[in-house]
Formats: sequence, C-alpha cells, structure tokens
Amino acid sequence: MANLTNIDRRWIFLAVFISVLVPLLVGFHLPVKASPNVRAIYTSIDALDAKAGDTVLMSFDFGPSTLTELQPMAKAVLRHCFRKKLKVVGVTLLPEGVGIAETILSDVAAEFGATYGEDYIFLGYKAGNEVLILNMGEELRAAFSTDVRGTPLDDLTVTRPLRSLGDMAYVLDISAGYPGVEEWIQYGQERYRFKLGAGCTAVMAPDFFPFLQSGQLDGLLGGLAGAAEYETLIGQPDAAVSGMRPQSVGHVVIILFILFGNVAYFASRRGGGS
Amino acid sequence: MNRDRLVFLVVVGLFAAVNLGLFLSGRLPANAEGVGILLAAGVSLALYSFLYKDNPLFKLAEHLYVGVVAAYELGQVWFQNMLPDVLPRGAAIYEAVRHPIDVGWALLGDPRQIVTIGIQVVPVILGLFLMTRLTGRSVWLSRISFAFIVGLGAGLVIPRRISAYVLDQLGPTIQPLWTEAGFAFSPFLILLGVVSVLIYFSFSFEHTGAVGAVSRVGIWFLMVSFGASFGYTVMARLSLLIGQLTFLLEKWLTLNLPLW
Repeated sequence: MANLTNIDRRWIFLAVFISVLVPLLVGFHLPVKASPNVRAIYTSIDALDAKAGDTVLMSFDFGPSTLTELQPMAKAVLRHCFRKKLKVVGVTLLPEGVGIAETILSDVAAEFGATYGEDYIFLGYKAGNEVLILNMGEELRAAFSTDVRGTPLDDLTVTRPLRSLGDMAYVLDISAGYPGVEEWIQYGQERYRFKLGAGCTAVMAPDFFPFLQSGQLDGLLGGLAGAAEYETLIGQPDAAVSGMRPQSVGHVVIILFILFGNVAYFASRRGGGS
Repeated sequence: MNRDRLVFLVVVGLFAAVNLGLFLSGRLPANAEGVGILLAAGVSLALYSFLYKDNPLFKLAEHLYVGVVAAYELGQVWFQNMLPDVLPRGAAIYEAVRHPIDVGWALLGDPRQIVTIGIQVVPVILGLFLMTRLTGRSVWLSRISFAFIVGLGAGLVIPRRISAYVLDQLGPTIQPLWTEAGFAFSPFLILLGVVSVLIYFSFSFEHTGAVGAVSRVGIWFLMVSFGASFGYTVMARLSLLIGQLTFLLEKWLTLNLPLW
C-alpha cells in the first residue's frame, strides 16, 4: 500500500495526457447545456438592435498564455454580434493583447464579410489600466484620439456617434487577470452604469459569482465550458464544444485519481503507515 | 551515457525526423508560416518536457518566452503610447524650454491653453521624474511622481472598492428569508455563509461553545469554496492542455480532428 501512496507523479501526467489525447482524436457527442449565466449574456446581446445603431464594446484583456481558453469565447460572442449586424468596438488593456485581438477580430469579421471601420474597429492599447477605463467613461476621444491604425475616431462609421462608455449598448470584458473584470466593474460599470458581461479563465470564475448575485455583472462565461455553452447557443459549435470531450474524460480521470488517492491514504493509515 | 541523456537525444531526434517528414511531404509549407508552426511546436514540447524532468530545452524555451514577451510589450508601448502621446508633448516641452518668452506670451493670450497644455505636459514631466531613479543626484525628483501615484491610487481605489465590494454586495447578502412563496433557502444559505465565515475569522474571542459551533460551519463553507476553486482550476489547466494539444495535432501534424 505504501507503494501506491508514493506513486511517481509522471504516471499521473501520462494518464491525464492520454485521457485528453484520445477523446481529441476519437469523435463522440456530449450534450452541452447553457447555464443561466452564459444565457444571460446571449439574451442581452440578442436583444440589441442593429438598426438603432447598438454598439458592443469588447475588451480583450488576455495574452497568449490563456489564448486557448479565452479565444473560443471571444470568437463565439463576436460571431453572435456580426450575425446580428451589431457594431463592435475592440480594445485591450494589455500590450500583449493587441496582436491577439486584431487576429480574432479580422478572422471572425472575414467569416461574416464585416468591414473594418463600417462594422467594427479596434482601438488598440493604451497604458493606464483602470485610469484608462475612467478616461473612456468620461470622453472616448480623450483616451483614444485614433484607432490602432491611426485613423481619427470621427472618420470611422462605428465610432462617429460614440462619445463615452455610456454610449455602448453592451460591454463584454474577456480577461485573464489584472487589469480585467474587477477593474471594469469598479471603474466602469459602477460609475457609468452600462450593462457589463464578463468572460474569464475558469480559475477566476468563482471569484466573480458574487458580482452576478449583486447584478454588477450581467452574465459570466467561465473558461472553455462557458465558451462551449455560448457556441451551442449560437448554433455554431467550434473549438470549445470540441474541447468538451477531452475535458469531460480528463475530469473523470482526475476524479478517479482523487478517489484512488483517498482510498490508498486511508488504507495505508489502517495498515499502520504514517 | 545515462538514461536521461538518452531520452533527451531520442526525443530531439524524433522531433527532427517528424519535422523533416512533414516538410518533405509538403504537409508543412516551406515558408515563414511553416517555420513559425515548427518553432511553436518545438517550444510547446520543450515546455512540456519539464513534466518529465528539468532540462536545458525547457530552460531555453522559458527564457525565450520571457524575452519575446518583453520585446513585444516594449514594441506595443513604444508605437501606441510613446510615439503618439509622449514624444509630441516632449517636443512641446523642449520648445517651451528653448523659447520661454514666446511660449509665455502665447499662453497669456489664450489662458485656456494653460489648462490644456498642463493636462498634456504634466504627466510627461512626472514620467520623466520617475526616470531619475536611474540617476544618482536627482533621484529625489522621483518622489514627487511617487507621491502623485500613491495619492491618485488611494483616491481612486478606496471609494471604488468600498462601493463595489461592500455597499453593492450588502443588498444581495441580506435578502428577506420569508417571501410570498415561503421560506427562501438560497438567501438563508448566503446569510449563514457570510455570518459563519466572519465569525471564523474573528480572533478576538475564543472559539468555544456556540461561537465554536458557528465557526465550524464557517470552516465548512470555506472548504466548499476551496473545492469549487480547485475544481475550476483543474478545468482551466485541462483547457490549456486541450488547446495546446489541438494546436500540435491540427496545425503541426496537420491531422483532421473530429468536431463531435
């Protein structure tokens, strides 16, 4: 029994690796059901009116280290926005978010034939973190006089009627840490009272549930599962839905390891081990 | 040759052979994109090699990542902040220093310009003061900037924190326990959790008797919270593994993965 409690951790890594690899290669269907927190964001964006010029602001506050988790949700929400012909304004509070945001925006825009400047724009990055949010809330042009390509905001169809964050019909922050969701709540939603949704890594998700309860957040996309639920809602399954197979099998394997560890531990105690 | 060195050489050799096969078969394009995918795959595998044992390839990839991110961030800050926002204002400061009388007369002619220029120029000056940390004699100037940062930070954070984390959270924490539909279980659970955890973290009195019982309930709430956080953490780490494996299988090995 002592051998079981001292198992080489590399066997566990190998088991988790296989449990992720095999379901990626072998296709089978697992149902994905949208939770109320994900459905709330979907419902809010679905209720927006393109004819009224409703604009969605998306803040891409993540870097390459969390790309695999957050890119699918950014793409899913963008697909929803472009399908409804809503205007989209992109921004990032992180310097490493610029290239990622540009790629995601242009890739999804190309799928729907959306034109830069007419249907979406990307403001880019400015230093300042929470101060930048306050600045955008007071006067958008004070924070960003031009977009990322150097075009003045008044020359772009999307931003011409926008003066501040209060003019956004919906704000979605997709974040992997600081600056991110908490800053958008404290310095954005709290002060300028716009409707705010959040997407975050699964690690961060439990921290934001109190903000859902209080209504400070409209909805929450937590990790790859949140993205998969959104992909299901828009009827366009992609990387996140596909990732739910290995995710589910991986979880089962880890649960089995936890049970095995506990059984081995109690058995070793009963057997007189330390 | 020990076993670890042999494993290292076999893995490197296997990686080289796979890439050679991919390029020769045309599955990886022999251009910048193909080389980029090869590099990304190599760095990914080098980082995952740490799971077996610390090794030089892992160290190389780790340092490469730090260097690339630092350079990329510097580039973004330079092109999106320094060039459009800071340098033109620096030039204006330089002009004012060179021709103080001309600039002074111009400002007196239009006093509103003083506020506008002040808003643009003062942050640049404060930023330059921070740079004096690198010098020996004028380092005291940086204290002015730090005083501004501390004052601004406190002024911004304190009211926002109290509002977002205390005042706005009070309402949903204290909900009616009896409604028209009967006893409301969720508000009761929230109230019980908040009160018991607060008592658990109250160290001014001994945790015995009724106080001890309530604080033990608090421990249970904390354990459930830690469990939820751990569960989400496992989910996040698996998601990262799934994403990276998908990249390796789809982009590097050019396999068609099933969607369902």
